[in-house]
Amino acid sequence: MPKMVFIESDGNRREVEAPLGLSVLEIAHRNDIDIEGACDGSLACSTCHVIVDRDWYARLKAPSEDEEDMLDLAFGLTATSRLGCQIVITEELDGLTVRLPEETRNMLLD
Amino acid sequence: MSSANEGKSARAAATAAERPIYLDYQATTPCDPRVVDAMRPYFTEAFGNPHSVHHVYGKRAEAAVEVARAQLAALIGAEPREIVFTSGATESNNLAIKGVARFHKARRPRVVTCVSEHKCVLESMRRIEREGIQITRLAVGPDGLIDLAALEAALDEDTSLVSVMAVNNEIGVIQPIAEIGALCRARGVAFHTDGAQAVGKIPLDVEAMNIDLLSVSGHKVYGPMGIGALYVRRRPRVRLEPLFDGGGQERTLRSGTLPLPLCVGLGAASAIAAEEMAAEAERLAGLNRRMMGGIAARLDGVSLNGHATRRIPGNLNLGFAGVDGEALIGAMPGVAVSSGSACTSASVEPSYVLRALGLSDQSARASIRIGFGRFTTEDEIDGAIEEIVGAVARLRAEGARAAE
Repeated sequence: MPKMVFIESDGNRREVEAPLGLSVLEIAHRNDIDIEGACDGSLACSTCHVIVDRDWYARLKAPSEDEEDMLDLAFGLTATSRLGCQIVITEELDGLTVRLPEETRNMLLD
Repeated sequence: MSSANEGKSARAAATAAERPIYLDYQATTPCDPRVVDAMRPYFTEAFGNPHSVHHVYGKRAEAAVEVARAQLAALIGAEPREIVFTSGATESNNLAIKGVARFHKARRPRVVTCVSEHKCVLESMRRIEREGIQITRLAVGPDGLIDLAALEAALDEDTSLVSVMAVNNEIGVIQPIAEIGALCRARGVAFHTDGAQAVGKIPLDVEAMNIDLLSVSGHKVYGPMGIGALYVRRRPRVRLEPLFDGGGQERTLRSGTLPLPLCVGLGAASAIAAEEMAAEAERLAGLNRRMMGGIAARLDGVSLNGHATRRIPGNLNLGFAGVDGEALIGAMPGVAVSSGSACTSASVEPSYVLRALGLSDQSARASIRIGFGRFTTEDEIDGAIEEIVGAVARLRAEGARAAE
């Protein structure tokens, strides 16, 4: 089974199993990694914002316009930002590495 | 009440008769009366906060803003949602330059621009330079245009942004925008152009020209002061760090309540420009020939600053050998022109734009900017020719006497 790596806000690296066909958001939830995903992957929020490792970013399919619109609203946006709900694991993504942003746009936490 | 109004209008008529011929259209343009008519209801009965979603005042205001957004978008070949309203071209230029440079600073810490840009571009560049971004400033030739080969050589993998104005505000030359856009797109570099003097004057198409960011000014296109816009491309998406934080209006790129009447005014001005630009450019070209021909026929030592043909028709930047521009302006109370741009005319230094063309301090000081537009008449051009020719001849005669 493919694996992927989350780098948490405190710098901690967590390698976890990444079943084919699951999204990065779903994998995070299975492994109790702290990504919110308030809209359950329906492209209505930016709370599953992740920052993709530079080398991996180029290998992902380009984001849709709807995803870009949501990314516009993400806090701490970077040039390699994506929404975790929109990255679906394939064989080619074995080893994918993403970092959690330091902040998300969740007003309740502020 | 009515007698007070009559008194007022009589005074207004008297002032209009006495006031100088306005030939400073690059500084600002009068608001088109049709624009004022379109705006008027939105100050009073049709007021509302376009961001209020719970009542008809807000919804009607939002609908009016969206019409305006679509009108401006149509003028430049954009989608309405790619238009971000701002307070003017200065803010748009600041947002585009600082926004892109700061967003990409970590990986692409270089920005390319040109020495003859507007002050607000050059000062934005100085600001980000202090933040650690490298700035490459391209020279311009004696014609005021950049060298495309030099631009191409300046682009590298570290470059996030190229910012080159479409039309120069002092000399009216048109930079090769489509060519610059193609070079930038091929290298994945964002291309910003300051369109303050170009939008509504020359055809601009953000798709055909590969423009990623385009600054617009309301009061340079017969719209109101205090409003402008920045076109921000959605596909491929251009990312910016906003200048303002707040309620997240305008795609979070420009928080703050939209000024409803001003947005409506910019929209109306855009619609008029789209409709009338071609015929207007032709008429202005006629006025341009009339003025240039009229002056050159009666005076020696007159030079046109900037490229002779790649320029907008509503501008003539002229040098009069042996004459000081400031003195010349002082000697022509009947015409309203300026020696450089209004934005820098607080300083007595010769124009940095003219110096960039290779003019000596003395030649730069001997130049004035003449700008005309939608409401300029042939009679006014003829009157201005008399005033200019008379004043130059007088100053030259005085200079000759003083030298004896």
